[in-house]
Amino acid sequence: MAISRRAFGLGLLGLSAAGTGGYLLVKDRPELQGLLGRRTTLFGFTGGEKRAFLDDAEVTAALGSFGIVLDARVAGSVEMVREAALLGQNPQFLWPSSAVMVDLARQSGVKIRRDQVVLNSPIVVYSWQAVADGLGRAGLVTLTQDGHYELDLKAFIDAVLKGTNWAELGVDALYGRARIVSTDPNRSNSGFMFAGLALNLLAVDVATETALTQYGAQVQMLFAAMGLKSSSSGKLFDQYLAGGLGAEPMAVGYENQLVEWILADMARWDRVKANPGARPVLLYPKPTVYSAHPLIVTAEAGDRLPEVLMEPRLQDLAWTRHGFRGPLGAAGGSANSAIAGILPSQVSAVLPLPSAEVMLKLLQLLG
Amino acid sequence: MAPMRAALASMALGLLLLLSGCGSGPKEPFKIVSGSENTVLEPIVSEFCRSRGVTCTFTYEGSLDIGLALGSAEGIDADAVWPASSVWIDLFDTGRKVKDTVSIAQMPVILGVRRSKAEALGWVGRPVTMADVLGAVKSGQLKFLMTSATQSNSGASAYLAMLTTALGGADRMMTADDLSRQDVRQTVGDLLSGVERSAGSSGWLADLYVKSAAEGTQYDAMWNYEALIKETNDKLRAAGNEALYAIYPADGIAVADSPLGFVSRGKGDATEAFFKDLVTFLQSEPVAKRIAATGRRIPLGNVTAAAQADSNLDPSRLLTAIRLPEPTVIRQALDLYQSALRKPSLTALCLDYSGSMAGEGEEQLEAALDFVLTPDRAAQVLVQWTPDDQILVYPFESRVRERLVASGEPVAQQALLEEARRNSADGGTDMYGCAMRALEDIVATPGRETYLPAIVLMTDGRSEGDAEALIAVWRRVTPHVPIFGITFGDADVSQLDSVAEATSGRVFDGRNDLAGAFRAARGYN
Repeated sequence: MAISRRAFGLGLLGLSAAGTGGYLLVKDRPELQGLLGRRTTLFGFTGGEKRAFLDDAEVTAALGSFGIVLDARVAGSVEMVREAALLGQNPQFLWPSSAVMVDLARQSGVKIRRDQVVLNSPIVVYSWQAVADGLGRAGLVTLTQDGHYELDLKAFIDAVLKGTNWAELGVDALYGRARIVSTDPNRSNSGFMFAGLALNLLAVDVATETALTQYGAQVQMLFAAMGLKSSSSGKLFDQYLAGGLGAEPMAVGYENQLVEWILADMARWDRVKANPGARPVLLYPKPTVYSAHPLIVTAEAGDRLPEVLMEPRLQDLAWTRHGFRGPLGAAGGSANSAIAGILPSQVSAVLPLPSAEVMLKLLQLLG
Repeated sequence: MAPMRAALASMALGLLLLLSGCGSGPKEPFKIVSGSENTVLEPIVSEFCRSRGVTCTFTYEGSLDIGLALGSAEGIDADAVWPASSVWIDLFDTGRKVKDTVSIAQMPVILGVRRSKAEALGWVGRPVTMADVLGAVKSGQLKFLMTSATQSNSGASAYLAMLTTALGGADRMMTADDLSRQDVRQTVGDLLSGVERSAGSSGWLADLYVKSAAEGTQYDAMWNYEALIKETNDKLRAAGNEALYAIYPADGIAVADSPLGFVSRGKGDATEAFFKDLVTFLQSEPVAKRIAATGRRIPLGNVTAAAQADSNLDPSRLLTAIRLPEPTVIRQALDLYQSALRKPSLTALCLDYSGSMAGEGEEQLEAALDFVLTPDRAAQVLVQWTPDDQILVYPFESRVRERLVASGEPVAQQALLEEARRNSADGGTDMYGCAMRALEDIVATPGRETYLPAIVLMTDGRSEGDAEALIAVWRRVTPHVPIFGITFGDADVSQLDSVAEATSGRVFDGRNDLAGAFRAARGYN
């Protein structure tokens, strides 16, 4: 044995000193926390549309490498910021799916330490190739240079309110009057946002209380014509896919829903794409509204969560695997991914939602 | 090429079963409560269960029964529910016990018309609207079978499509105000006057069509799921009988979504994981193909059963689907059906007051009568009478003791209840004699074709005599009058079973759940 017992002892000491120095070095670096095996578990509520993202093994591993484990339970965006039964459980963070919810949380007495939009997903209209082609002929849908469909939602809503037939809008395959459905705005965020967007469009600007008095009845009519409405965005999206062109010609949803569905089974997407009759089509209302996902931190332990979620690795996973855009609406990660080409890199025209006060009054009108 | 493909498909299926066999399933049996239209899919589900070493049990119930059980305080005794449509979950599952619902198939409710009848009506090869159906019913050229709109989803779907089209088309959203419109009520009432036989179950109705055809009774038409019309046609053709021609009303069709949902009742992760694997299995391509082969439309279907030109069935045909209104409006529409629009019923109740019913049997019988003749109680489960209905009551032993007659007016029902209750159990039993008397009275009822007739034997089933003379007379009476049995006390169902079998009726157990039994029987007229 060439190495003496003493030398070996000294060597150990040296290693340990280097270790201590290293520890002191990384202790305050959030991105290296995971290396030390120190994990902070944070409990809170999130909207159901982010469930697949938070359940994704790569996402939990990435969060873990920053020393964070999320115990996120699903709750409706409106209820998580208002219901005593949920707030009474002392959540350390709230992650609703609309920026308006930050105001609502404040109004219901939530002590907000930090709030930051970390993800974005525009409200879109899911439809079918035959509808897009027909509406294209009628001038309501245009194909952009990068191959995405834009919908003149204002003109379409006007047509629905007037009782215009599909045939008059160029869609010969469908019988009867044009229609569009969203979720129940009093239960689900995508319906809530669509109500705000519709009011904006009718008012031709971000709607104020005056606009609500003027156009509220028309939004009411639009929602009454939908009949039975789904309680969640996920359910409506499933219904749209299952029902097909005849039963669900147009359904409101989030842009990222189609992405998650495609990525769940790429072979299925290839089959579906090849069938022109049953090809799902994403229409971007112009203008649309963003479903922003503001992270609201309510406990000290969660203070660094916003930065962690803004880390390039997590933003990249959010975009490439779940279709969520970054805080400014730009494609988050590498452009060269499986979903490249399916979504436009930027959404051209975006309006803010009306204020929390106007939205609450609109909800009452639609209740 | 085809055998090759089949071999590949079966290999893929085998692989899937093998893969899915790796997980561990729940230890206890996995209970599925399903609509009767899914009997044809039970073997496919069982195949998966066996591969996992799990016992799966199927119980078939009407949509309303599934809904009521979901809404009840004690909850439903099932790990998964599979009603015909998610509407029934939306209407009744207020505690949100059902989660992860997945549409397994899309099933439009259409009108199957006997091919020669469809030709006579000039409906072959052209679009037919609900207005055409109305015209044929009003001119007396068309009658049909349809399940009860308040008990079964296919009947509810046909009824809601009738209402929606009466408002002016598939695109009209029904409101509470629309339901009070006289013109709408008139149109839908006229359409429903075409009902020749009703039932509480779509599967049972389809079987009735096939069985009646085999016995020489050719009904004109039947409202049912597209897939069940296909199933019926397969059976009719195999027996050398005339098939049904599919009519897809051009102005509006209700589509059922056949949702399979998990019932969360704290049975552990293994049970929930098993459910998810079952869904994955049912959605896998080889299995989806087998489901499509039954005539069901598979979501995003690039697998569909081939169209049948001679019967006009085509699961890939684009439909004009109606949109359903809000739950409160649906509930009001169903109340309207039960209380005003459905075809009135002419119901004869034979009450067994023989000596063998003394004690428990008599108590159960009177409790059942109290339920069925108390409007508030009957209305809770949508089986209340209307003033247009006629009720005949015969307390019997070895002879018919008396005949009591009443309309469905609440006051008349009350009087009927009090009269009937004056009886007490004594003497021998002849249920055949009572049924014969009831049949004679039904035949003698003026305008009996405007009613849906039925005889209900409420008895312990232990009767003297036999059915021979009764059945001989029964055969000569057309349209036929179904004879149902509801059992009480120390019941012996064998005699009742043979009467019900011979008269296309059905026997229900009144001992454990008499309200349920009577509801089921009432769903059949």
